[in-house]
Amino acid sequence: MSVFTKFLRGWQFRDSSPSLTVGDECSVFVAETNSDGNGHVYIGDTHLLVEGAGPETAEKRVRIEVTEFDETNATGRAEFIEVVGESSYTN
Amino acid sequence: MSTDNSDSPDADPSESFVQDTGEEGPRIEFYGGRGMSAFPIVFFILWAIAQTAFWRISDEGGLVIGILVGLIGGMFFVRGDWKTYANTIFEGMTQPVAVTAIVAWIWAGMFAQLLQDGGFVDGLVWFANTAGIGGALFPAATFVLAAVFTTGIGTGYGASIAFVTLFFPAGLLLGANPILLFGAILSGAIFGDNLAPVSDTTIVSAVTQDSDIGGVVASRFKYVIVAAIVAFAGYLVAGQFMGGLGIGGDAQELLVAESEPIGLVHLLSMGVVIGTAVAGRHIVEAISWGIVVAAVSSLALGLLSLGDIVSFNAPADAPLSQPLEFLPILTVVENPDDVGVGGSLIQGAAGFFELAILVLLIIAAAQIMIRGGAFQAILDWSIENLATNVRNAELTMVGSAALINAVITINTAAEVAIGPYISKIGERFNLNGYRRANILDAQTAALGYIFPWSGGVLAGYSAMQELPGEFEWFDTGMLVTPIDVVPFVFQGWLLVAVFIIAALTGFGREYIIDRESEEVARL
Repeated sequence: MSVFTKFLRGWQFRDSSPSLTVGDECSVFVAETNSDGNGHVYIGDTHLLVEGAGPETAEKRVRIEVTEFDETNATGRAEFIEVVGESSYTN
Repeated sequence: MSTDNSDSPDADPSESFVQDTGEEGPRIEFYGGRGMSAFPIVFFILWAIAQTAFWRISDEGGLVIGILVGLIGGMFFVRGDWKTYANTIFEGMTQPVAVTAIVAWIWAGMFAQLLQDGGFVDGLVWFANTAGIGGALFPAATFVLAAVFTTGIGTGYGASIAFVTLFFPAGLLLGANPILLFGAILSGAIFGDNLAPVSDTTIVSAVTQDSDIGGVVASRFKYVIVAAIVAFAGYLVAGQFMGGLGIGGDAQELLVAESEPIGLVHLLSMGVVIGTAVAGRHIVEAISWGIVVAAVSSLALGLLSLGDIVSFNAPADAPLSQPLEFLPILTVVENPDDVGVGGSLIQGAAGFFELAILVLLIIAAAQIMIRGGAFQAILDWSIENLATNVRNAELTMVGSAALINAVITINTAAEVAIGPYISKIGERFNLNGYRRANILDAQTAALGYIFPWSGGVLAGYSAMQELPGEFEWFDTGMLVTPIDVVPFVFQGWLLVAVFIIAALTGFGREYIIDRESEEVARL
């Protein structure tokens, strides 16, 4: 990306509930996890339940693959792949 | 903290859940509950408000004592062994966030001082004089020039002092309104403090949100420029309606005396830093290139001598002082008090030494709060009551950053203290590091130059109080009272407004899935 292009990124109004496509792989922060080993991810107001993201992934950045997505309610499911990063501030 | 078995993505987000319990590090128990772990930082904030807002003492040394007393006081509330508390202080101080910010500041300080000593402001004075700007247009022009200057040197406080000293009296003679003119100077300082890659607040905003400084600068341009265009129009219009003092006198004479067109060469030094940082080079590399360009061009064009950049004052009885006195960087001095090292580089770097100690201690106090549980308690409450969706989360980030910067005069200290909170709220909604850093720094830059107790206003006002002694025609009645300038710091108010609108409309919002900020390379 050129220097000039970097200044032009983000001149847009971004939806508060972004859409995802089944099969998408992305890295995101896990907000919290359930006792049954599933994690909750919020991308704006879009809510994903991440299967296999246990308590050790809470507040960490993880790689996931989207497996289901409902555009109307902005909710879906994803599969945990791996932990790829930490929060800026780790407890 | 509790658990549930909800496995539906439609479930209420406020349901109970397992959060990071922080088992990775030791916990600290406090008498009076986990809220008491906030004692050091709360004590510091109260100290900072009393010192800087009530007594108007902008002394970072005083704030260092405030946080030290807070850390000592907090220890008395610890249950059991105090060793864990003491170790947590070290744990906080050795976090990469603090070290990265301090290293970047030292580099930025050297670069900024080279530009100041190398006559950058004199080049801008020449431009203002050559353009032949009249009194009504002078505030708008001053805003633009102060913005350019601050974007080069990074320090809005330095810009306030330089512009109040040089542009303020010239503007008064040209018939510009003094309140509007002071407001324009402060607005320019906000612009640069917010945008410059060498600004201390830009650096803190980037490193606390795990983002690269060049990327942060490029991504925040859209907010800064929108506010600046409206502010510029505001100064143009207000300049037509708000008259001057009708002093008369020769403004040109005043401007010519400080005019030096070659100083504009530092637009190149500034461009090198911004260009290389935005192109993705490490900030230390980008600023180093800026230092080289500024030093070489200043030396080549006669703006600075080698001794101005670095100078050694050695005593006459030192073994090699007299034989090497021919060196341009060495001076033999008779008075023992004059012995030392000086010049732009050390002066620039030393300007950040006190702030560096302060930031280490604030981050240590924040770590106590994290280990003791108060931080999590505040976060849980915020998520449940304030940051209930992404819009409210961004409004909460804007509000909390604005509030702490409104009450603590030294905005960098306020920014470091609120950084972890902004990070956690933003990460929960997967807002990327650039967006988080931009929300944080806009409020920090804006609120640091608006209120009568703000550091930027105090810096400019202090310089203004010297003017009656410098010019015969300048009487104390021409001084602008800090409270009067509050509504006229257009860039500050507009920047806050832009971010409230951006939070409500999603303007400029970026999620981590849209673009990941590049982490600042650790040193």
